Amino acid sequence: MLEKGKLIEIVGQENFTDQLEELVPYSYDASMNVHRPDAVVWPESTEQVVEIIKFANEHKIPVVPRGAGTSLSGGVIPIKGGIIIDLARMNRILEISIENRYARVQAGVVCDDLNRALAKRGFVFPPDPASSTVATIGGNVATNAGGIKGAKYGTTRDYVLGLQVVLPTGEVMHTGSYTMKCVSGYDLAKLFIGAEGTLGVITEVTLKINPLPRHAMTAVATFAKLEDAGKAIFQTMTSGVLPSVMEILDKVTLKSIKENTDIDLPDAEAMILTETDGFTWEEVEAQMEVVLGVLKENNPISIKTAKDEKDRLNLWKARKSSYATLARASNSFVLDDVTVPISKIPDLLVGIQEIAQRHGLVVATYGHAGDGNLHPQILYDEYDPEQVERMEKVEEELFKLAISLNGTLTGEHGIGLSKANYMTLEHDPVEMALMRQIKKTLDPNNIMNPGKRALDG
Amino acid sequence: MSNQLKLDEKRRKAITQCSRCGFCRAVCPIFDLTKRPITNARGKMILLKEVMEGKLPVTEGVAQALLRCTTCMNCTVNCPSGVDPQEIFKAARKDLVGMGFDNLFKKMGEVIEKYGNIYGEEERHDWGHKKSRAPYVLFVGCVGTFREEESVEETIRLLDLSKVDFTMIDEVCCSGVMEDVGYSIKGELAQRNVQALQKTGAKTLITTCPYCYRVFKEHPSYKDLGMEIKHITQFLKDFDFGVKTNKKVTYHDPCDLGRHAGIYDEPREIIRKIAPNFVEPRRTRENAMCCGSGGGLRGSFPEDSIEISRSRLSQIIEETGAEILLTECPSCLHNFQNAKLRKQKIEIYNITEFIAKLIQEQQKKEAA
Repeated sequence: MLEKGKLIEIVGQENFTDQLEELVPYSYDASMNVHRPDAVVWPESTEQVVEIIKFANEHKIPVVPRGAGTSLSGGVIPIKGGIIIDLARMNRILEISIENRYARVQAGVVCDDLNRALAKRGFVFPPDPASSTVATIGGNVATNAGGIKGAKYGTTRDYVLGLQVVLPTGEVMHTGSYTMKCVSGYDLAKLFIGAEGTLGVITEVTLKINPLPRHAMTAVATFAKLEDAGKAIFQTMTSGVLPSVMEILDKVTLKSIKENTDIDLPDAEAMILTETDGFTWEEVEAQMEVVLGVLKENNPISIKTAKDEKDRLNLWKARKSSYATLARASNSFVLDDVTVPISKIPDLLVGIQEIAQRHGLVVATYGHAGDGNLHPQILYDEYDPEQVERMEKVEEELFKLAISLNGTLTGEHGIGLSKANYMTLEHDPVEMALMRQIKKTLDPNNIMNPGKRALDG
Repeated sequence: MSNQLKLDEKRRKAITQCSRCGFCRAVCPIFDLTKRPITNARGKMILLKEVMEGKLPVTEGVAQALLRCTTCMNCTVNCPSGVDPQEIFKAARKDLVGMGFDNLFKKMGEVIEKYGNIYGEEERHDWGHKKSRAPYVLFVGCVGTFREEESVEETIRLLDLSKVDFTMIDEVCCSGVMEDVGYSIKGELAQRNVQALQKTGAKTLITTCPYCYRVFKEHPSYKDLGMEIKHITQFLKDFDFGVKTNKKVTYHDPCDLGRHAGIYDEPREIIRKIAPNFVEPRRTRENAMCCGSGGGLRGSFPEDSIEISRSRLSQIIEETGAEILLTECPSCLHNFQNAKLRKQKIEIYNITEFIAKLIQEQQKKEAA
């Protein structure tokens, strides 16, 4: 039984709960994993986080840091119970230094809130997960979140200059720098980026910021053959131009959008949505000319371009509706994020359809073709045990397929609970042993988000 | 207590359909305040999912959680999974009352029955305008009548100045709000309103309150009314008032008028005619944040309600720099007036009230 008196002493009665009804929402994220925490705290300062962690470490109580809880892999599910540290109230933008190109924020700052503040100064933090209206910077760092613009602008990792982390022993570590370059000591910040809260609580982040591109031009192309779409993607990515967006939608996704919305789409095997951006129109158009050239060479059924905002939004409609349309098409779904080398995208898409057919489930795939990161959405019914079993088989084969194509289990959602059993598919025993050793060294009592990523064993 | 929620198949499906993406966090006025997931649509949908699956007993805590919602519908329009949480919460509130989890609105129901209004007021202002017959009949509603009298007076003046041939009735509460907080509309009161309205022989019913508008339009108790129902912004949109202000003006979409009734353009058409210096708030139209007064929240969680209002008002002031905030809802107006701090210089009016004031100012100038 948790001694709550100490926690209440640290954060105050109003920032603590162990009321059943309040714990229930914390038992979930956007995946299918469920487990109750014993208590939730909303710290308001790093000092409070330190005290919470010291208390938890002393009593060997599991701790799970949580941002907006949008994770799709069970990363924030307190599978061993314990304390949830909800960082939502540590949401201050501490500093925006345009002259030094960085922003320093508390972990609970929401991505879009930061970008709204930066946009006023003509700057941006580029990673743009679909959940950016609610996702927190701390969560972005903990999962190394990416998004649609990953191919050109990378993922969160590429923007983290420095971190403040409360280690599992309660010490506060500052790592990284405020500089554009830094090769001083081991790059410990990288160790905590994408660690899904298993090594400590990120409380403060210093992010590199970019000038906000002033213009963008959008194009959409459809293809009768998947191979042609695949070729168009990797030829574009090697054409000398890096589009800011290079998205693909497979035929199952297109069919679902066509059947459930009023969006006019041709019968096609694949659709590509692409965008070029830049400081001037000339630059944007010149890049788009190259991209269009490649698209045209690969037998498209149709190509449309848009310059003004209204047309742009129109072209984005199909891509933007994919998640929503599919979410409505079934009782339940699993949204994965396997990633493969770019030239392997057609093989991955064909393979996914073979797996789906073999197990009689609908799997619609769309995603960030420009960096090989695709989102197969597996539709099923969580109340039908037989379908659950088939969904699990589809996932297992999907992961095996991605690995066989020199890919990875996860490009941006993280391992969490959902993919923990597949860690050894991707990581050899030597690497697994080192990961476990690192975890043990930093967190001897295994209090930080235990039960995740197959690190406990 | 056992799981006795009666939610129908459609609502049960919607509860399963919630993919728990959490996107509703960005638009929930209560979550914005508390940062507690139980106050957000996703949190409440999860509670209902567990109740439905028999994993969570129905408790007073569940009942209170479901009551803590302004039913502003901002989550609905931003839900990728196509779920309308507030509609489900309202149905669940009724089920919970049926299971013995009465709430403070039971008392309000008694007050409405006894006094014919939500406040237990015994006297009402006599606005005059009691003609036996007229082509138009104006319905003001409880909040306007008893809490925003001055504003209503100006609205009436505007109709007079615009030479609208209208009458008013001895109105009683439309009582639609009872449906949203776990109880039922007061059929007898509805009947009294219907009879009084019909007696005027009016072809058109004009409401100043967007909530009353919806009740007359949507609730079966009023289905035999037999007249066209218009919100006052719909009615006045083609009028030419012949006045203008140079002040910077902005507009707050009431949830009941905007997201619930789909009326976004008419208020703006009117405002653009009188205020060329019109600016939209950042969160506007379908995405307008709630003033905090809806869904019974002002009664059940008054502190939340006023904080939400304060936050919305501060954002509007900060983002627009407007001198005048217009809306056309007595509840929004009332909540904003209560929330406004002394240091905030913005003036807040209903559109109709503001135009009446402009006309009077102009008349004074002309007279001078």
